[in-house]
Amino acid sequence: MSKVENRKSQVEELSDENTFVVDGGLLEDSESTDRTLIRSENQKLNTKDQKHDEQRTTDNGQLQYIFLPLIFLTVALLGGLRLSAEDNALLFLKPALVCLIYATLLLVLFFRSGLLRLDGWFSEKFSMLKNIANGVVLLALFFASTQIFNSLLPERGLPFWVFAFCFFWTLWNNLFVEFQGKRLLQSLGSVFALAFVSKYLILSYLTAPASASWWRGILENPTQEAFTWLLDLPRFSAGTGYIQFFAVIFYLLGLFLLPASTEK
Amino acid sequence: MRPANYTVKEKHIQTLGIALATFYAIFITWVYSVEPKSLEEVPAKAQTTIENVTTKTQVAIGTYEIDRAKFNVGLMAFQQDNFIVARDNFQKADTEKRDPRTQFYIAYSFYRQGFGRVSNDDALFKQGLEQIDRVIELDKNFKSDDANLQLKTPVELKNEFEEGLKVTASDFNPLKVLRERK
Repeated sequence: MSKVENRKSQVEELSDENTFVVDGGLLEDSESTDRTLIRSENQKLNTKDQKHDEQRTTDNGQLQYIFLPLIFLTVALLGGLRLSAEDNALLFLKPALVCLIYATLLLVLFFRSGLLRLDGWFSEKFSMLKNIANGVVLLALFFASTQIFNSLLPERGLPFWVFAFCFFWTLWNNLFVEFQGKRLLQSLGSVFALAFVSKYLILSYLTAPASASWWRGILENPTQEAFTWLLDLPRFSAGTGYIQFFAVIFYLLGLFLLPASTEK
Repeated sequence: MRPANYTVKEKHIQTLGIALATFYAIFITWVYSVEPKSLEEVPAKAQTTIENVTTKTQVAIGTYEIDRAKFNVGLMAFQQDNFIVARDNFQKADTEKRDPRTQFYIAYSFYRQGFGRVSNDDALFKQGLEQIDRVIELDKNFKSDDANLQLKTPVELKNEFEEGLKVTASDFNPLKVLRERK
C-alpha cells in the first residue's frame, strides 16, 4: 500500500513538475513571441528605413544623373541663343575661346572652394559606370559654364573686352582666396546678376533699335545710334534678355542642387 | 550590404542619365552647327542632315550612287543650253562630287556657257578649269560616250579652257568669229 501511495505521490509530483514545466514552457513561449514580435518590428522598421534610404538614394540618383545634366545642358543650349532684331530669327552664337578659359577657371574654383570634392566625384571605390556618369555631369557643368560666359559677355567691341577683363579679374582673385562653397555661390550669383543687368538692361538700352535706314536711325535716336556705333553694339530682339535670364537662373539652380560629393 | 535590386536601380539611373545627356548634347551640337533660323526650320534641317549622313555612309561603305532622276533633268537642261539649271541639277545629283561623268558635264557646261565667238567669259572658263581638274583627279582615263560632245576627254576640255584663257595674237584674227562651239 505504502508503495502504491509513494508511486501516487511521485506521479502527483511528476504531474506537478510537468505542470510546472508546461507553465514554464508557456512563459518561455510568450517571451520568445514577444522577442519575435520585437524582432519582426525591428525588421519592419529596418526594412522601412532601408526602403526609405533606397528611395532617398534613388531620388538623389535621379537628381544627380538625370535632372542635373538636363539643367546644365539646357543652359548650354540657351546660353548662345539670341533673337535677331529684324525678324526675331534664331541666332546661335558659338562661344569665344575666352569663355572656355573662364569655364575652366570656374571649375577649378569649384573644386578649390569645396563646392565640389574631386574624390567625391571620381574614385577607385566607385564602379566604372558611376565614374562615367559623374564625368558626364561635370562635363555638362563645364558646357553650361562656357555658355553662361557666352551669354553674359557682350558679343564684340569695347564692352566685350571690358566685361572679359572684369570676369578675369574676379576669377583670378577668387582663385587665391579661401572660400566656402556657399560664399562662392553667393559671390557668383551677384557677379552674374551684375553682368546680366549691365548687358541686358544698360547696354541694350544704349543700343539703337533696327531702323529702315541709317539716316532715319540718326534722326530718330541720335544718342543710341552714336553709342551703338561707338561701342559696336549688336542689335538683338528684346526676347533675348528673357531667354538669357532663364539661362542664368537655371545655371544657379543647377549649382545649388549640385552635391559636393556623390559618395554615400 | 546593399540589396541587389538597390544597386541595379542605381545602375539603371546612371545608364539612363548618361544616355539622355549624350543624346541631348548631340542635339545641342547639331543645332549649333546647322543654325536653324526658326523652330519651323528644324525638321527641314534634320532631313538634310539625315540625307547627308546617309550619303556619307554610302560613300564609306562603297554603295554611293548619283541621283539618276536629277542627272537626267540636268542632262535635258544641258542639251537645251540652259546651263545654270543643268549645273544645279548635276550638283544635286552628285552631292559628294564623286561621279566623273556628272562632274565632266558640269565642266562642259562652263565651257559651253563661257564660249564666245569674239571673246570667252574668263570667269566661267576659270571655274571650268578648276572643275575639269576635279574630273582628272577622279578618273584621268575618263571618256564620255555622249555623241553630242565633241570634246570627249578631260584633257581635251582642259586644253580648250587653257587656250581660251590665254591672250595670243590669234585672238585678234577676225576669222575667229567663224569658229564653232564644240
